Amino acid sequence: MTALGGIDRRLLQNVDWPLLGAMGGLVVLSATTLASLHIGRAGGNVALRQLAWFALGLLALLIVASIDYRRLVRLAPMFYVIGLAGLVTVFVLGRTVSGARRWILIGPMSVQPSEVFKICFVLMATWVLTSRWAQPIGKTTLALTAPVLAIPAVLIIKQPDLGTAILLVPVLTALLVGAGIRLQLLGGLALAGLAAMPVVWFAALREYQRERILVFLDPFRDPLGSAYNVIQAKIAIGSGQLLGKGVAGATQSRLAFLPERHTDFIFAVFAETWGFVGCLVLLTCYALLLLRGFDIAATAREPVGRLIALGVTALFATQVLVNVGMVTGLLPVVGVPLPLMSYGGTSMLVSLTALGLLLSVRMRQFQ
Amino acid sequence: MNLNLRRGLPTRRDPGQKRIITMSALVTVGLMVIVCQLWYLQVLEGGRFQEASDKNRIRIRPIAAPRGILFDRNGAPLVDNRPAFTLSLIPRELDRDPDKRDAALGRLSALVQIPFQELRDVVAKTSSDSFLPVRLRRNLSMEEMQKVEEWKLELPGVIVEVEPQRVYPNSRFAAHLLGYVREASDDQLKQGRYRRGDMVGQSGLERLLDEFLRGKDGGERIEVDAMGRPMRLIQSTEPHPGAQVVTTIDRRIQEASEKAMEGHAGAVVVMDPRNGDVLAMVSTPAFEIDRFTGSIDRDAWLRVMKDPEFPMLNRTIQSQYAPGSIFKIVVAAAGLQEKTLTPADRTYCNGEFQLGTWTFKDWKREGHGTVDTLDAMRHSCNVFFYQAGLKIGGAAITKYAAAFGLGQATGIDLGTEKFGLIPQPKSRLRKAPAFQAGDIVNMSIGQGQVLVTPMQVARFMAAVANGGVLWKPRLVQRIERPERGVVWSDSGTVTGHVELNAAVWAFLRQSLWAVVNDGGTGAGARIPGLDIAGKTGTAQMIANSRADKGQDHAWFASFAPVKDPEVVVVVLVERGGKGGQVAAPIARKILNAIFFEKVASAELQG
Repeated sequence: MTALGGIDRRLLQNVDWPLLGAMGGLVVLSATTLASLHIGRAGGNVALRQLAWFALGLLALLIVASIDYRRLVRLAPMFYVIGLAGLVTVFVLGRTVSGARRWILIGPMSVQPSEVFKICFVLMATWVLTSRWAQPIGKTTLALTAPVLAIPAVLIIKQPDLGTAILLVPVLTALLVGAGIRLQLLGGLALAGLAAMPVVWFAALREYQRERILVFLDPFRDPLGSAYNVIQAKIAIGSGQLLGKGVAGATQSRLAFLPERHTDFIFAVFAETWGFVGCLVLLTCYALLLLRGFDIAATAREPVGRLIALGVTALFATQVLVNVGMVTGLLPVVGVPLPLMSYGGTSMLVSLTALGLLLSVRMRQFQ
Repeated sequence: MNLNLRRGLPTRRDPGQKRIITMSALVTVGLMVIVCQLWYLQVLEGGRFQEASDKNRIRIRPIAAPRGILFDRNGAPLVDNRPAFTLSLIPRELDRDPDKRDAALGRLSALVQIPFQELRDVVAKTSSDSFLPVRLRRNLSMEEMQKVEEWKLELPGVIVEVEPQRVYPNSRFAAHLLGYVREASDDQLKQGRYRRGDMVGQSGLERLLDEFLRGKDGGERIEVDAMGRPMRLIQSTEPHPGAQVVTTIDRRIQEASEKAMEGHAGAVVVMDPRNGDVLAMVSTPAFEIDRFTGSIDRDAWLRVMKDPEFPMLNRTIQSQYAPGSIFKIVVAAAGLQEKTLTPADRTYCNGEFQLGTWTFKDWKREGHGTVDTLDAMRHSCNVFFYQAGLKIGGAAITKYAAAFGLGQATGIDLGTEKFGLIPQPKSRLRKAPAFQAGDIVNMSIGQGQVLVTPMQVARFMAAVANGGVLWKPRLVQRIERPERGVVWSDSGTVTGHVELNAAVWAFLRQSLWAVVNDGGTGAGARIPGLDIAGKTGTAQMIANSRADKGQDHAWFASFAPVKDPEVVVVVLVERGGKGGQVAAPIARKILNAIFFEKVASAELQG
């Protein structure tokens, strides 16, 4: 079997079509929603660019799926270092957008290294957890994984990009649980983390980040300031009612009352346009995608595949829950995109690469 | 959903798999929580958010309706509207940063000379979420408007709107008659008929006819984007201008009367005796009506309120004066009709009249010599009327005074009218059967307790001129609405008749003609070529005041032409001195303007 050339017929038999179907559905919903917003130099511009990124991402998906994931995990330390290097580069060459340095320019494209790093992190965590030094899973494992999380977390928080940093914690937790860590140990760690909260609050969080959390607790603290996004998003979602306002009637989105409407808050646009029924369709797509992911992890033949699939699924699940949770007002606002829906080239590329990993695990399930 | 989780590992049940199933269950629960939240937001609270979304995108921009216009009897406007610039603030569009906002307000304060604190108070009082413009100042000068427009980019949330505003022929023109217009006061707002910023008539005809003059404001519903930029007009309602009012005033006569009164405090009423139309109504000093429109600063307001000359007082109906010798017409009418006085009655006047221990003086110290009734009217001989009054009796005099409408409200539409006073026989002491002789003597020359308003005197003189018909003074002929035609009209109301013999009427007219034209006290009003009848009066303000020292009020009541009278002119000058010397020449100017300057004026206008 070669990496790219003749793909084994048995591999093709195990392609997860429901997963790809859910993915395709989400991309279609994303493109139509973006097209309705008329953002950019011409109508549909953002939607077309999103589709172009999707095409590029599809290529990445195919390449990744065709490679044995074990080979990729073996290279994980290298990816991890490259990812960290990308995070460091942001501080040197980074482009500042609304107060945060998150992007670097590569030719005509701007790339978000913290997005790319998510995949590197899953690979690296898997590599560490399946390495022989980490066995048996216990306190030693925790000590080994701590720097894997801490180094990038500090770099990402400094950008600042609280959202991405927060994602890493549940992903690592899921991997530890999947790897078989004792739950008492994890519980103790959680308690310690809870005890450290006040320190984090005053030492690590910036003023605007604290303000966001306070606004989450009381949205009318400052209705035109930090809470504006939350209130406008709630108005957009709520006014969609059962069946939605349709593309022409979605005034919250069309008249730009909704901030970040093509990126982090795209769910609100979708909810206003298509209503509760549309949201059910969208969430069903995500549910299908996530449950297929968990299924791939559960049915994986060996620990590396299981952890890779679990990490990727946990990454998706956390992003979906955090993003929709914050847009619907259940969680404080943190900058987390909705995978496959939010506009963003890097995010799309990374999401499809991650799905490629899932497929790779699925296809090699019976080898 | 067919997860088929056990497919891959059919034989072994490892703990990791169980944990993964638990995790997938947790994620599913998370998704269910989100679905519940969406159900709450979209289905349970959807209507409320729909409203919030409409409130977000739809702005209502009010368009002020122009106030109705008041015309004079010939169609010349007494007051008009012109577009004026109003400086307003949109609270929602101000800078949210308090420091930057204060900087902008400070700049605005310097540009248009509004105290900074005042601007901050306005901002503090309004909800920062409101898109409704809050007026800061009306009637911005062109220069100020340009300054604000130049700095527009530095002044977010500050706008200049165009609104119709009252404009007057001159600053004090018919101020008491028209009345001023201002923004609804807090008390008026409490009544619930007005919205903040509504212009409301506060006095005069503007207040009386406010219901009619106020139009119906229009408005636009506009869809705006998040920046407040208008995107689409959803609905537009045209403003309906207020009704047009045709008054009885003759602008030319009003202007002439105001000009004639320049430099005097007092009142002029010009009335048409044929129908009670008020052709001119002047009270001086007048307040500056245009300064009261819009915002007047506190100091200016207090200055007007504390002015010892009371410029806010409408002296034609709100001030009461002793009628002085004008009242002799009533006494003569009573005596002649009741046959207690004849034209042939003669008295020798030596300048004083003795009643018991009291001495009543004539205004002419050396006396008038032998006078008959007509001479007594002509020269306004007090001694003759002291004696005549005693013969006629207090009851007869008050009866005729009341018949002529003195001491009674005229019923003029402006309201806030004073009644005047005609003393009744039992007024002094309840047990006293009739007037004391001294009271009658005083009353015979219009002094003592008798009090009248200039409007009452005008109605009374009109009755003398027209043979006894008392008209209710009419100010408004009709009110028209552009689309509905005449909505209100008044063809004149007769409120009473004075029944006198034809010979008595003839005598009164003849004697009043003689006052002006035959060497009488009213010679100062004489105009060759016009038969004017009139009577002078000098009302003592205080006992033993001296007319020659300028302490008395000067009256002149007249009508012309004597045959078929067309106008009644009543002039009162406060502390003017003698009626013949001060008031009669003013009446002469007015009469001259009415009868002889018509052509010249028409040419000027035409």
